[in-house]
Amino acid sequence: MPARSPTSEAPAASTSASRSGRAFLLLLRDSPFTFPLVAIIAVLLLVISEVSYRSAVSSLTQLEDMGFVRIRNLELLRLMVDAETGQRGYMLTGRDEYLQPYNDSIKELRQLLEPLHRYYEKDPTSDSLFVELQTTIERKVSEMQASLTMVKEGKTEGALQLLLTDIGREQMDSIRRLSRKLTEREAGKIVTERLEINSTLRLGRIGVATMTALSVLALVLYLRQRFAIEALRVDQRRSLQQERDQLEALAVERTEQLTELARHLQTAREDERSRLARDLHDELGALLTAAKLDVARLKSRIPDISPEAAARMAHLNETLNSGIAMKRRIIEDLRPSSLSNLGLIAALEIQAREFAEASEIKVETRLEKIKLTPSAELTVYRLVQEACTNIAKYAKATEVRIQLLATSDGGLIEVKDNGLGFDTDTQRHPSSHGLLGMRFRVEAEGGRMKLESSPGRGTLVSATLPSPPEPDSTST
Amino acid sequence: MANLKTYIVEDSPVIRENLVATLEELAPVEVVGTAEDESTAIGWLSSHPEHCDLVIIDLFLKSGSGMGVLASAHLREANAKVVVLSNYATEDMRKKCLELGADRVFDKSNEIDLLVNYCVDHALDRDAGASANAGPITNF
Repeated sequence: MPARSPTSEAPAASTSASRSGRAFLLLLRDSPFTFPLVAIIAVLLLVISEVSYRSAVSSLTQLEDMGFVRIRNLELLRLMVDAETGQRGYMLTGRDEYLQPYNDSIKELRQLLEPLHRYYEKDPTSDSLFVELQTTIERKVSEMQASLTMVKEGKTEGALQLLLTDIGREQMDSIRRLSRKLTEREAGKIVTERLEINSTLRLGRIGVATMTALSVLALVLYLRQRFAIEALRVDQRRSLQQERDQLEALAVERTEQLTELARHLQTAREDERSRLARDLHDELGALLTAAKLDVARLKSRIPDISPEAAARMAHLNETLNSGIAMKRRIIEDLRPSSLSNLGLIAALEIQAREFAEASEIKVETRLEKIKLTPSAELTVYRLVQEACTNIAKYAKATEVRIQLLATSDGGLIEVKDNGLGFDTDTQRHPSSHGLLGMRFRVEAEGGRMKLESSPGRGTLVSATLPSPPEPDSTST
Repeated sequence: MANLKTYIVEDSPVIRENLVATLEELAPVEVVGTAEDESTAIGWLSSHPEHCDLVIIDLFLKSGSGMGVLASAHLREANAKVVVLSNYATEDMRKKCLELGADRVFDKSNEIDLLVNYCVDHALDRDAGASANAGPITNF
């Protein structure tokens, strides 16, 4: 196939004619009418072939007729000569044998004139000539007939006289001349007809060649159009693919951004809680404690207090205690004080014990001392908290095992229950958001979280966390 | 009754002032110094080992923690009673503090009275004899 790039098509073509021709070809190539054009060319080809075939056939038929007519003309002449010979013979001898060829010739002559007459009727140029010939023949025949009748009647002398008038010879000459003229005319017509056949054949040949060339051109253009369409389709597919790749990359990027955002929010949330807890402890805690101290000092200042005042004092003390207890609950919920004060193991033990007491689920712990960054410790603590919350809410478990194990490169925390479990492939965990948040936190610490569960076989939440790069003193 | 020389480790100024005033008012206590973080406290205790009879320690400090002060060896040398006064006097915390050598643990919110009583008792005990067998829990 020709190359598709336009530069390689006709390097030397620089005239405007070839340029416009090329433009036309380009138009054709890109035109949707190329295929119909091919169809039209095919029909034209058929028409040309059919027309030239018919024309040739009819010319050949005419040629055949002309040949026939030529032969008959000659035949006519021969018969006339035969008839004259018979007449002369009879006139010379008076024997009936000579009448026989004469009569035969005349009879044949009549038979011959009939088709010739029909033929020349259709040919106006030669018809008058033929009519003249026919008339002359008729005259000649009647002259011969007259002389023969005279001989039969014994008037041989009269017949000879008639012969001597030269009328018969002139008539015969006239017949010869006319016949030759007709024959010549036929010969001319044959030549014309042959030329016509030649030109018909040539025309057919040119037409077929042209149409063949055109159809080849159309085929080429059609194929090129197909190739162009195919190339376009490939292009479209490629650009679609590109678009899809871009979208995928965008999705990956957005996912990363969202992950980053989630991590950031998680950290921000923990920071915010921590700050809030510190404020509550430092400010509110100090105020409440100061109030308690004032109450203690007031009590000793008023030795003889009235019962009513004592009751109010006791009530004030109780109110302050409730406020302190509430503050303590809030702070503990915001930030596990046990973690920073007692360390991870103690904090987890406290958490496990409190969970067991609150949920009446048997909790087993196996906790090994490991080194983690404070934020990783908080993550472990929160993970256990989240897992325990889920167990209390959904699992209907009777036993929970919490394990913290030292590994070669950090720690492994596991919370396993014997509850309902769920299908990790098809079902979403009821608290998937909480667990997703945990996953982010664990991954933000450089660890990996795993969730294993199947219906009826409980759930195992586990996470690995790397130890800090430099050994740091853990909080006491 | 000679005053108990008392050193207070507490980060909140509001509590510190109120605590000093309350203790000095209700018990024979003379506050000889205060600190609001772990290193200051340990520094003072190491340079004044004989200057106090009672150390009151809060667990949450500006920096470091009361636990660090408790665990410090200088506190042993000081030969003083050590009590923890905290808002986090949970069972675990009490246990941990006692293990670290505290004589008593008082809840900052609910056990101020007990602390005052303890100070009074300690002063009386110290006056009664040179021997230091006062607190309900001795941990030397």
